[in-house]
Amino acid sequence: MTFALQAHGITKKFPGVLANDQVNFDLARGEIHGLLGENGAGKTTLMNILYGLYQPDAGEILLDSHATQITSPHDAIQQGIGMVHQHFMLVPPLTVIENIILGQESLRGATKFLGRLAVLDRARAAARIRELSHQYGLEVDPDARVQDLPVGAQQRVEIVKALYRDAKILILDEPTAVLTPQEADDLFKIMRGMIEQGRSLIFITHKLREMFAVTDRVSVMRGGKMVGTTTPQHATSEMLAEMMVGRKVILQIEKSPAHPNATVLQVENLQVEDERHAQMVDDVSFFVRAGEILGIAGVQGNGQRELVEALTGLRPVGAGKIFVLAHDVTHKKPRQVIEYGVAHVPEDRHKHGLVLTFPVADNLVLCTYYQSPFARGIEIDAAQVAREASKLVGEFDIRTPSTRTNVGSLSGGNQQKVIVARELDRPVKLLIVNQPTRGLDVGSIEFIHRRIVEARDRGTAVLLVSAELDEILSLADRIAVMYKGRLLETLDAKIATREQLGLLMAGVKEGAHV
Amino acid sequence: MSNVALKNSPNDARSAFAKTLDALSNPLLAILLAFVLGAVIIAITSGNISTVPVAYIGLIEGAFFKTRGLSESLVATIPYVLASLAVALGFKAGLFNIGVEGQFYIGSLTAAAVGAAFHDLPALIHLPLVLIAAALGGAVWGAIPGILKAKTGAHEVINTIMMNYIAYRLTEFLVSNVLRDKASSAVQTIRISPNAELWNMATVPARLTDPLNAIFIALLLAITTFFFARWLVLRTRVAARFQTAAQKRAFTTALTFMVALAAFFFLPLLTQTVWPWTDPYDRLHIGLFLAPAAAVSVAWLLNKTTIGFELRTVGANPSAAQYAGINIGKNIVLAMALSGALAGLAGAIEVLGVSICRCLPLFFSAGYGFDSIAIALLARADAIGILPSSFLFGALRNGADLMELRSGVSKHVISLIQALVLLFVAAPAIVRYLTRQKTKADAVADVPLTRGWGR
Repeated sequence: MTFALQAHGITKKFPGVLANDQVNFDLARGEIHGLLGENGAGKTTLMNILYGLYQPDAGEILLDSHATQITSPHDAIQQGIGMVHQHFMLVPPLTVIENIILGQESLRGATKFLGRLAVLDRARAAARIRELSHQYGLEVDPDARVQDLPVGAQQRVEIVKALYRDAKILILDEPTAVLTPQEADDLFKIMRGMIEQGRSLIFITHKLREMFAVTDRVSVMRGGKMVGTTTPQHATSEMLAEMMVGRKVILQIEKSPAHPNATVLQVENLQVEDERHAQMVDDVSFFVRAGEILGIAGVQGNGQRELVEALTGLRPVGAGKIFVLAHDVTHKKPRQVIEYGVAHVPEDRHKHGLVLTFPVADNLVLCTYYQSPFARGIEIDAAQVAREASKLVGEFDIRTPSTRTNVGSLSGGNQQKVIVARELDRPVKLLIVNQPTRGLDVGSIEFIHRRIVEARDRGTAVLLVSAELDEILSLADRIAVMYKGRLLETLDAKIATREQLGLLMAGVKEGAHV
Repeated sequence: MSNVALKNSPNDARSAFAKTLDALSNPLLAILLAFVLGAVIIAITSGNISTVPVAYIGLIEGAFFKTRGLSESLVATIPYVLASLAVALGFKAGLFNIGVEGQFYIGSLTAAAVGAAFHDLPALIHLPLVLIAAALGGAVWGAIPGILKAKTGAHEVINTIMMNYIAYRLTEFLVSNVLRDKASSAVQTIRISPNAELWNMATVPARLTDPLNAIFIALLLAITTFFFARWLVLRTRVAARFQTAAQKRAFTTALTFMVALAAFFFLPLLTQTVWPWTDPYDRLHIGLFLAPAAAVSVAWLLNKTTIGFELRTVGANPSAAQYAGINIGKNIVLAMALSGALAGLAGAIEVLGVSICRCLPLFFSAGYGFDSIAIALLARADAIGILPSSFLFGALRNGADLMELRSGVSKHVISLIQALVLLFVAAPAIVRYLTRQKTKADAVADVPLTRGWGR
């Protein structure tokens, strides 16, 4: 095996954290090497070291068996390493060509004649971009503005950008997070094509299924250490999950059939606009009954966030009606909606779900601080809050040094547990969960999934919004697919297939049967 | 499942102490560094190292040890405390109230007007009335930018600055026209009623001979005792000594009445015999008790009440506040109004307790409002921490004159030292670097003191 890249004994310390501890990693020429690990396992740190964003405290990096130092991302690109970040590094108002040549321009540093040179580059760049797109099946229109492109196409621009810089080694950081299953399959084909051209790929994901679909080898990191490397042929999902978490994990949640009761949430012809007055939710009607989980699948950005925000009173409703247990909550304020018995696990836990600079205890009473027994008159009873916090920390297995620890210093999984604990502790009639496990480790996902099913079994109506098809398939009793602001179809989870849902998520309505 | 008893674990108690020490180490180091750097600057500008001890000894003597030095330092500290509380309260709600100076002016103006409006009201009524009026004046002045922000999103920094100018000019206009004392050659307002004054410390024994005044003081002490006793039986170990809520109530009531009665009957007599303040030129006034009371009240409001919880949540994360059903607009207006009220009180103190003429003169320039921003930052917007921070600034302000007299070093060096303190507080990384402190692992920013433009 010849190695495109080898990293030996990489150690990187951050204050109080050993992010990488004697990590060995190698990438054979022409292979797709999957890198698996929970959040905080040190994957990103390792990749940032390989991409020159950080310098390791110890260890060496070999490119083509020659020891080297990667001092900056610029240097990494020079040495043939490219990276497609999870959050795209594109300038939305610029065209595809402009985005792709942007780094090259600054490389030349010909600021004095920039105008004229840019024109020259543009023509040559366009030709080269077309050539690259054709060669790898990466369809992009070089003259389109990035802001007008769908997410999948933006990702292709990122990949072309790396290829344009002639990256021999390409790091793909969670590239499938924003894609439909079909788009992900297309990406895998493209990745295969790149391998055939002699390039080497590092593929980071937390979806075990994808590891088996595309990689040649898989390495697993945990707690800053490299746990091991294996091949998909020799591994099973359970094995990889166990390597990741360090203990046995139940991947498939066990749940009994739903016993739906009376309708709790009734939505009629709902229309919602976003900040720029684009119609994000378009004539949506559905219902959720007590004791069932309605899953709303769909690629991110198809109106799910606006839908949930409208339901919880956070966003004005354009038209239509929302009823919670026969109460019209259409234009009610968030607090009134909460008091009708609606709990909400928001999509963005840092923005909406938590006050990071507040202690765990205060975050646990964020929605109930003004009610008895936590408040008497205007005074907050700190002892009651502390008692409640200790209770929930125990019940929900929130790992925190104390209930007075700032929630911002907890891990993502524990932060999400704080939100789930808070929202489930109230007598809720309707639980709305939006992307409840995004970015969480397998152990926390398992825990939160179980809690959601338990809430259902207690007779709570659950609306689950998720871009993770696996999550929808394992939790939901009925599945609706949202595409461009509309609910395309509502399927019985027992008969829905991944392929069928994938097509619906891409907006293809044919071939779907109720 | 790890169901550990988290509350009252020894680990928690230790970390509370460690946290306090941690919180104090940076400001203290910042102050020390500022004085060291100040010394260097004094040495360079005067071209003589021996000027440094002369200057600093003069500063310390002026601030504490010369005749009435300590008193004057405290006189400057009192408005600082209130004005800094105004800034800190804004910070906690995510608002940068630069309009404290303007609200201070409006408070002074209102106090001067209401203080001079009545002549026969007893202090029992008149003094609280003037203070409430000044607080209301400041509150209105603060609430206007608050409403503008809540309704239109207009940034409070711009609008409070503009409100400052309106306040200056309005004050000038009213002082030189409507409220002007025509009998005086100086352009100033009519002298306020003695009953509206914040009593000078030296006059307390004489004033207490009036039974109405004695009732006033007894009432104030009773209110203080009530809250103290309540805190005692609810929040401290004393609570364990009582079985029922009725017992706690009985204890609180009894203590309150005993203190009130004792104060009414014995305090006048006591102050006749033992009273440390006898110097009639000493300007120290009973605001000395008002300032810490205000600090404790603000700390209580922010940390122990639902109102404070909402204000702090809006300040720390408006999106989460909205999610939790907290009305952001209402809290912005409330925070600005409360902030303005505190600033207004600070302004009232200047007229009611400090000014020689017991009135509001034209061209009265305070500057308290701007210094208070630095003080609030030094205290990291902590209401109790503002007490020592204000005292530091008050002492520096007061000691500067003697420093200049003794060493010839311009008293503006004090502004420089204050600025350095602020710089080091605002940039803890510099202090850490200079003192080779290790960066703390969980260096999660504690208070977002201000947010950027827009919302």
